[in-house]
Amino acid sequence: MIRSSRTWQAVALSAVAGLALTACGTTDTGGGDASGDDCSFKIGVMGALSGANASIVLPSVDGAELALKQWDNEDCDVTIEKFDTEGDPAKATPVATQIAGDDSFIGVIGGAFSGETRATKAIYGDAGVTMISQSATATDLTQDDPSPVFHRIVPYDDYQGAAIAQYLTDELGASKVFVVDNSEAYGEPLADRVEETLGDAMVQRDKTQVGQTDFAPTISKMESAKPDAVFYGGYIAEAAPLLKQMRDAGIKAPFIGGDGLYGSDFGNAVGDAGEGAIVMCPCAPIEEDSTFAADYQDEFGSAPGAYAAEGFDAMSVFLAALDDGARTREDVESFVDGYTGDGLSKEISFDENGDVPKDKVSYWAYKNEGGTLVPDVEVSPAS
Amino acid sequence: MDFDALINGLDRHTLDGITRGSIYALVALGYTMVYGVMKLINFAHSEVFMVGTWATLGTYTVIGATAGQGLGMIIGATLLALLAAMLASAGTALAVERIAYRPLRKKGAPPLIFLITGIGCSMVLVETFGQVLRVFFGPPFGRVLVNVPAVLPTKTVFTIPGLDLAITNTRLIIIFGAIAMMVALDFFVNKSRLGRGVRAVAQDPDTASLMGVNQDRVIMLVFVLGGAMAGVAALLFTIQYDSTKFDIGFIIGVKAFTAAVLGGIGNLRGALIGGLVLGVVEVYASTIWDSSWADVTAFVVLVLVLMFRPTGLLGESLGKARA
Repeated sequence: MIRSSRTWQAVALSAVAGLALTACGTTDTGGGDASGDDCSFKIGVMGALSGANASIVLPSVDGAELALKQWDNEDCDVTIEKFDTEGDPAKATPVATQIAGDDSFIGVIGGAFSGETRATKAIYGDAGVTMISQSATATDLTQDDPSPVFHRIVPYDDYQGAAIAQYLTDELGASKVFVVDNSEAYGEPLADRVEETLGDAMVQRDKTQVGQTDFAPTISKMESAKPDAVFYGGYIAEAAPLLKQMRDAGIKAPFIGGDGLYGSDFGNAVGDAGEGAIVMCPCAPIEEDSTFAADYQDEFGSAPGAYAAEGFDAMSVFLAALDDGARTREDVESFVDGYTGDGLSKEISFDENGDVPKDKVSYWAYKNEGGTLVPDVEVSPAS
Repeated sequence: MDFDALINGLDRHTLDGITRGSIYALVALGYTMVYGVMKLINFAHSEVFMVGTWATLGTYTVIGATAGQGLGMIIGATLLALLAAMLASAGTALAVERIAYRPLRKKGAPPLIFLITGIGCSMVLVETFGQVLRVFFGPPFGRVLVNVPAVLPTKTVFTIPGLDLAITNTRLIIIFGAIAMMVALDFFVNKSRLGRGVRAVAQDPDTASLMGVNQDRVIMLVFVLGGAMAGVAALLFTIQYDSTKFDIGFIIGVKAFTAAVLGGIGNLRGALIGGLVLGVVEVYASTIWDSSWADVTAFVVLVLVLMFRPTGLLGESLGKARA
């Protein structure tokens, strides 16, 4: 009993603190809040803003911020509030509780990663807060356990495996693909899907571990299998040493990875050995001479990075809801469900599970050239 | 299960395992020496190794060494990096001793406290490279894998006839470098005057100090030597794997500690044997199944060895180890 009353005190305290903060926010901005049709709202952004994986999240947050900045609506006063979860589901849960409990939040962009999204979508679901994720791609989020409030701008991982396999056979003409994964929740199912789609075109499958640096056993398997392409399902920290050791051993087969390798860190980590490596990503390339790229450059001092366009699109959908007159969480939810419109990354709409409709699914193969990922070819997995 | 793959390439896999194990063994020396003298597991030792890898990268950056330079530059840069890594690692080990262990020792703290301060030091060092230095210097510091230029290019020196086994220069350097350092260390501890002091403190600290051995100096010496060996391991690691990361020490540290226990913790030669056996077992397991089975198999072997030889393969402490 004592414990629970303490918890309540804590909740009450944080609620008071939250109210005080909200009050500050509104007094600062001032203006037309007093009008009858009150349109003063917050949109939360939840993701790894610091830590090892921040480089694939921050550009999308900047993209969302840019969309808000460019939004032209006199009646509404909308602020973006960023919550750092470090991509950790345990840290995302209290964030979700806070957002769900604060009525001024009408929507949330994120989670950026699948793990934190899985941990929080029930909380948002109960409170009716619409989620639009710019980059959470795990299949189960919508296929096994769909939530009415969850939507995403990117297609899910099953498509990615198919897209990679298609690239390997159609673009590279590979018939002996060596498939490696990192034995964890992202890499293993992705590699399973690649294997399934490749069928006979796969020559051998091997597994590695997160944190591994010595890949000699995998290299010697490659040497005897003599593959004409290598797929790795996993993240940069293991892909880079694997690729280096392959090239050191004289294995020249093309190397391809999933979106776990996407980001500026890949080129830095892999060095010269990574020249020509392919990274498949659902993130649409942003043309260098587009207005978005120029605006982004002006605002943040760098070229738009991973998922910047998807972040922009997610925010744009919410803002369109407000333009349309949505003023409650229910309004926003029903608007987003039925939304169709041109986005930066693709034509945005959501199917009944909140996914990108099948015919809109496309991937881009990026080629690592001199340390930067250059868009190479678009792949639309036939399914 | 693919036993054919193991049998057909047994020579190759053994060589891969010895290469991997050599680095484990060098790092294991730091654990085993400190344990031998102080009966303490220095959990910050993995970060002593990590600092060495960064010192290598720093040296290459400062002198502008990159891949594909002339022989003079390759030798010069590698030797300088070796020196820098040994100094940085030994310095880190010494600092850990002075800051985390010595004040506690003076106050006669119970052994558990040393474990906690060691883990604390380890976290501080990891976060320093993962977070703090990034604030001041920006990249390459941070939480990402960093490319270390392959200053020493991998080249096949000769091929063993009949086996079709290519021996590369980096393998030779790693295996012989590691063995040479260990022989030198073993010789130092067993034959030199200072080494006698180390053995004396390991056997009986109180009597040793009555006999005029300065215990604090011996402990400092042990940390410096263990750190320097981790520095050598760090250089060899960057030569072989061309990369580093703020938490690169963690897994190597766990493996090296395992190697030390497998060989008999407190025993220098045990660290060598333990490291090599662990490396070979891991590579064999990775070949028969895949790399996700490497740790499982290695620890099953560890448990089996400890069931029959509870003090490890060679099982003696530093104090008792004689020629």
